[in-house]
Amino acid sequence: MSAREAITAVRKPASAPAPAAPELKDHLVLVAEMTRVFAASHDLRTVASSALERITLHMGAEAASMFLLDDEERMLVCTACYGPVDITGLRIPAGIGIVGRAVTHQEGQMVRDVREDPDFGGAIDAKTGFTTRSILVAPLSVGRETLGAIEIINKASGDGLFESDDLALLEILARAAALAIHNSRLAQRLVQQERERHELELAAEIQRDLLPHAGAHGFPIHGLNIPARAVSGDFYDILPLSDGRIWFNVGDVSGKGINAALLMAKTSSLFRCLAKSAEDPGQLLNAINNELCETNSHGMFVTMVGGIFDPRTGTVRLSNAGHEPPLLFHADDESFSAVPADAPPLGIASGIAGPDGFPSTEFNLQGGSLYIFTDGLTEATTFGGGMLGNDGARALIRDHASEAPELRLKNIAGAVKLPGQSLRDDLTLLVVEDIAEGVAPAAASADLTPGAGDIMRVRVPARADRLKMIRNATQQAAAYVGADVGWTADLVMAVDEACQNVIRHAYKGRPDGGDIMIDFVAVHGALEVHLMDFAPSVDPATIKPRDLSEVRPGGLGVHLIRSVCDDARFVPPPSGVGNLFKLTKRFGSQIKGR
Amino acid sequence: MPLEVREVDGVAVVALEGDIDLQSSPAVRQQLLACFESHTRVVVDLSGVTYIDSSGVASLVEAFQMARKKSGTFALVNVSSAVMRVLSLARLDRVFSIHPSIEAAVAAQA
Repeated sequence: MSAREAITAVRKPASAPAPAAPELKDHLVLVAEMTRVFAASHDLRTVASSALERITLHMGAEAASMFLLDDEERMLVCTACYGPVDITGLRIPAGIGIVGRAVTHQEGQMVRDVREDPDFGGAIDAKTGFTTRSILVAPLSVGRETLGAIEIINKASGDGLFESDDLALLEILARAAALAIHNSRLAQRLVQQERERHELELAAEIQRDLLPHAGAHGFPIHGLNIPARAVSGDFYDILPLSDGRIWFNVGDVSGKGINAALLMAKTSSLFRCLAKSAEDPGQLLNAINNELCETNSHGMFVTMVGGIFDPRTGTVRLSNAGHEPPLLFHADDESFSAVPADAPPLGIASGIAGPDGFPSTEFNLQGGSLYIFTDGLTEATTFGGGMLGNDGARALIRDHASEAPELRLKNIAGAVKLPGQSLRDDLTLLVVEDIAEGVAPAAASADLTPGAGDIMRVRVPARADRLKMIRNATQQAAAYVGADVGWTADLVMAVDEACQNVIRHAYKGRPDGGDIMIDFVAVHGALEVHLMDFAPSVDPATIKPRDLSEVRPGGLGVHLIRSVCDDARFVPPPSGVGNLFKLTKRFGSQIKGR
Repeated sequence: MPLEVREVDGVAVVALEGDIDLQSSPAVRQQLLACFESHTRVVVDLSGVTYIDSSGVASLVEAFQMARKKSGTFALVNVSSAVMRVLSLARLDRVFSIHPSIEAAVAAQA
């Protein structure tokens, strides 16, 4: 509201008849009442208006107003008033006039006759048509902080001029008012802080949802993010493709807090969106960079490692935009090799990487594990007080190498995060494990049979022209356990039908869909056949035995498998990738299906 | 692999050979159905079949359905025990017309 708008003359109800001069007892009653009123309410404006009315009437004055300093403490703003003219919203410079004098010196001012005071400007009178004769001003202050002042104008009783007793009373009332204002502002600030904290919590919740859900046990890629504050400027993502390959990234937005978190959300969304149509990590990072640069990120930038992993071959192709070099760890000889950063961070300048995009490198994990982390790890303070550094990070990875990946990441992070204390910087870890190496030991996990009975492993492209090889191999496995012709023929058919399902359903008939890996395992009294593919998960419910009352081609395979095997079921694959179908056929079992 | 088709008393006699699996069954299916362009009565000789899978069985089922659609006949002969095992598991041993020899099949369809 501008001063001009504010100075709309409002006729207040006629003042009560001037009372007889109040006694001390009356003063004390007023002080007690005002103190109570001020303390009881946090609605400053309402309380101030009614308090000014009470004070005006009690002191037998004509008008009163309360001025508060604005945020820059350069102007005094009329927050509440009582009297024949409404000047609420009126702004006057803080340093001038009699009110200004009271505020500047934190001292009560009594001007019995304004005509005798050189500081009286009469500006308000000029604007309002009101005639000021006598003024009392008491500063509103709490401790050393001055909030403003209360002004009382024109005494109606006696000679119309204020007395020093009047000032003493006003100063006492102002002190109570100042405390109330101070409390009210504190309360407002608390409410505001609470609201902001709540909003931050919501932001953190949404941000946590942006991170991928924990992968299944045995999934080749795992990540961990611990924000230093409520929200994080770090992120990671894991995005499996339908062809079995997996995109991954780890990013670090410069800075912390809500602005970094928003840029993080934008960058990770861009990654997710653009990765679906990207082929090369370097081109993907280039596309993200160009998108980020199209909108101003206020000098913030993002370092990122983005890559794609093929669990079937153990091959990683990645591009590094200014991020900490990822470390490839080989458990067998405990050696590390660093994959260097070779491009600037994202969000600095578009087209920075040239027409071919950011450079990307391809390498095979060869049974090792690839660690990607943010500087929240290497720059973390250790229990000893020093910075962990790259050597410290390597030592931690080495120390925990034998643990399962989820636990390993937690323990590495736990080594730099003091219990109950927050981190100095956001911390993000991601590990890519070569599960092609991991399949063999995993096949001997609790769900599957110990490896002592392994007969043969066959791994071939999942194609119709390889089925004969698979049948021959199955025949050899059956011969190895001394099965007769009929038993063998049934097993051959079951394995063949199961492989057809892999070719037709899991890999959707694509000739280059991927491999099928078959383990023949002799167990007590039975032969088990584990058929593993590396395609996206098949919902077993969608592959049903057909209804045999219908004479219709198709859907027959599962029926045949179930007819000749003692057990046939999907089990969770040890690697977390692809599908594992397990057939069990007992030696000498009665032939079913007749 | 082109199939050997000969005619005996107006009946097309098709000899299938080897493994009828996912690899070979698309061609088998196509050629069996093609027989019905020139004939209404078809006999399939399975004596040379060493293995048949569900896709091979499905090809036979389609030919059987084509014969019904064309008001013709469709019969299987020389069914080995291995093939019969699959047909019986699929409950198709009672659907198909199965004969011990080509002569018996042709005579039955006269």
